[in-house]
Amino acid sequence: MSVRDLKGRRRWLALAGCLVWLAFTLFPLYWVGITSFKSPVGVVGGPTYIPFVDFEPSLTAWRELLSGARGQFYSTFMASTIIGLSASVAATLIGAMAAYSLVRFQFQVRLLSGLIFVFVAVGGFLLLRDILGMGQALALIYSFIAALGLSVISAWAPLPGPILKNKDIVFWFVSQRMFPPIVAAFALFLMYSEMGKLGFKLVDTYIGLTLAYIAFSLPIVIWLMRDFFEALPVEVEEAAMVDNVPTWRIFFGIVLPMSKPGLIATFMITLAFIWNEFLFALFLTNSRWQTLPILVAGQNSQRGDEWWAISAAALVAIIPMVIMAGLLSRLMRSGLLLGAIK
Amino acid sequence: MSQIDLERVTKTFGTVEVIPPLDLNIADKEFVVLVGPSGCGKTTTLRMIAGLETATSGVIRIGDRDVTDLRAGLRNCSMVFQNYALYPHMSVAENIGYGMKVRGTPKTEIAKAVADAARILNLEPYLNRKPSALSGGQRQRVAIGRAIVRQPDVFLFDEPLSNLDAKLRIEMRTEIKLLHRRLQTTIVYVTHDQVEAMTMADRVVVMNQGRVEQAADPITLYERPRNRFVAAFIGAPSMNFIDGALERGDGGVNFVAEGGVKIALADARVETLSSSVGEKITLGIRPEHTMNAEQAFPAVDIKVADVEPLGPHTLAIGKAGQADFTAQIDAASPVRPDEMLRVSLNPAKMHFFHANSGEALGRLEG
Ligand SMILES: Nc1ncnc2c1ncn2[C@@H]1O[C@H](COP(=O)(O)OP(=O)(O)O)[C@@H](O)[C@H]1O
Ligand SMILES: [Mg+2]
Repeated sequence: MSVRDLKGRRRWLALAGCLVWLAFTLFPLYWVGITSFKSPVGVVGGPTYIPFVDFEPSLTAWRELLSGARGQFYSTFMASTIIGLSASVAATLIGAMAAYSLVRFQFQVRLLSGLIFVFVAVGGFLLLRDILGMGQALALIYSFIAALGLSVISAWAPLPGPILKNKDIVFWFVSQRMFPPIVAAFALFLMYSEMGKLGFKLVDTYIGLTLAYIAFSLPIVIWLMRDFFEALPVEVEEAAMVDNVPTWRIFFGIVLPMSKPGLIATFMITLAFIWNEFLFALFLTNSRWQTLPILVAGQNSQRGDEWWAISAAALVAIIPMVIMAGLLSRLMRSGLLLGAIK
Repeated sequence: MSQIDLERVTKTFGTVEVIPPLDLNIADKEFVVLVGPSGCGKTTTLRMIAGLETATSGVIRIGDRDVTDLRAGLRNCSMVFQNYALYPHMSVAENIGYGMKVRGTPKTEIAKAVADAARILNLEPYLNRKPSALSGGQRQRVAIGRAIVRQPDVFLFDEPLSNLDAKLRIEMRTEIKLLHRRLQTTIVYVTHDQVEAMTMADRVVVMNQGRVEQAADPITLYERPRNRFVAAFIGAPSMNFIDGALERGDGGVNFVAEGGVKIALADARVETLSSSVGEKITLGIRPEHTMNAEQAFPAVDIKVADVEPLGPHTLAIGKAGQADFTAQIDAASPVRPDEMLRVSLNPAKMHFFHANSGEALGRLEG
């Protein structure tokens, strides 16, 4: 049954329910919108609802925001945009590759190889740092390289024990999103600081925050793109294989264009996540590469609850995403897949 | 030269052996159709030739090359799939020319090849359309166009007409045959439709559970099926089978079955069947080799359950003794359901099969 089939009173009830819900979701936006145009006096003097009637709109908040009187607005906006776009593009691309390989190729990883990795990485780190007295960062780098090398080599050996298949690998990826992000954020901060001592500055750099976002977005991207790739008719790729099209060309020339709607959806979701992300930005940046969520939150603490300023900053954070979603959802709806198969 | 040889080829998925050791030789320029019931391994065989599946064991040769371990792209085959498998984001022209473009063929050459293919396949008005704006028949033509510009050693078709409606299917059948005559390229064509197989093939390979039951030209398959499976699979409506035994009596040899069926055999057949007297055998007769009762021919009585007037003739469907039986009779015969009907069998067209093994008995070789 669909809402369209409803008759008479039920129909009106359904409509009323929808309108209530609409008001419920739109009102906060409206409220933020008008608050950003109120003068400080207007905000403190009790609620007013309709511009020009209840209160006289003022551009104070916007002027302050855009003039940079309240934090480096332009540089923050640019940092958010650059990091958001590049990390989303990179994560979508890398994740799509991983998802595609997980859909079309069968992998086998021996559990023991994984254990070797963990053991060598942790054990090697402790050995190098505590017994051989190496620096934290160097110990970390060496032990991870050794662990990676050993586990890859050991994967060729006929080790005993269970063999992990593609679905286990996917679960492994997704499981990384199951623990609280604060764990990863804190660990990343420590690691970045150690790297900084070695001369690779990562805290408060473009590359540092972008890498962290790419890594943290990958599980979602892989999870989403896997579904899209699974829905593709494999014959299209097989036709290309028979036609001697190289694998990389099949991926970039055929598979990616075919899954454009999926790529766009995934890109949107990733971008929205990174645009709104607060915790990593808080830990891993302090001035140069601060992002919008930090700026918005900062409005509250610097000089007390100045709601007009917070509202203006919040709107600036929201509007680009709304525009983006509007543009891209139109692209997504193009029925690209029709015609590939019956 | 592009003959195809499969030697002792097997395919196992997990623990299931889908293709037991298979030997198949396909001559240069031959149009071979693999036919069989769904799930018998036709597609698997075709995909092993294409290189989309690797053979578990055995050797596959195309021309003089051992391609067993060669990847699909290097085998110089073209494949057409049941669901067209076009590139949805490319126009018809781009679809047809994509393989050449990838291989770095000059633009003018691609344009010429695409134009040629479009002319052969009547696709000229559609070259700039996307596949989604084409009908099923046009899409399959694009897929065929994509296959022919490759100028492959071998064409592989996997049920290319199954998604088309009946009328279009018959048209495309002819088109593909004409294409074969024009291009003179070896074709391996998979279908589950025996009519398609019979009408198109130089040679039909009837498969069942991964085995080749019989490989022969259509007329041989029809007239001299090697076993009961082939006899039942080829021909529509399909052959009637009556289980019984050969017995001596009444001055000759009779085929006797439960339900009072008794058919006297002509002397010529008795000679080749005499060693089977007393054994359980199955008699097979196609509906088109039955007729309204005639003095000179042996006859059976059938209890009619349904009558299908087809115009040129009528089918009477019922039971002869215990066995299902379809008889083809004159259109004018006044037969109604629930009546008894006496039909004669053309003795020269009777087939006999060993009841247990299903092997044809007394079959004329050649
Ligand atoms: N990738 C596969 N994994 C497991 N079993 C398969 C696979 N492909 C085909 N089969 C099995 O092999 C048998 C033959 O399949 P197929 O060659 O597609 O049959 P056909 O084309 O004659 O209908 C079927 O029983 C099918 O279930
Ligand atoms: Mg098949």
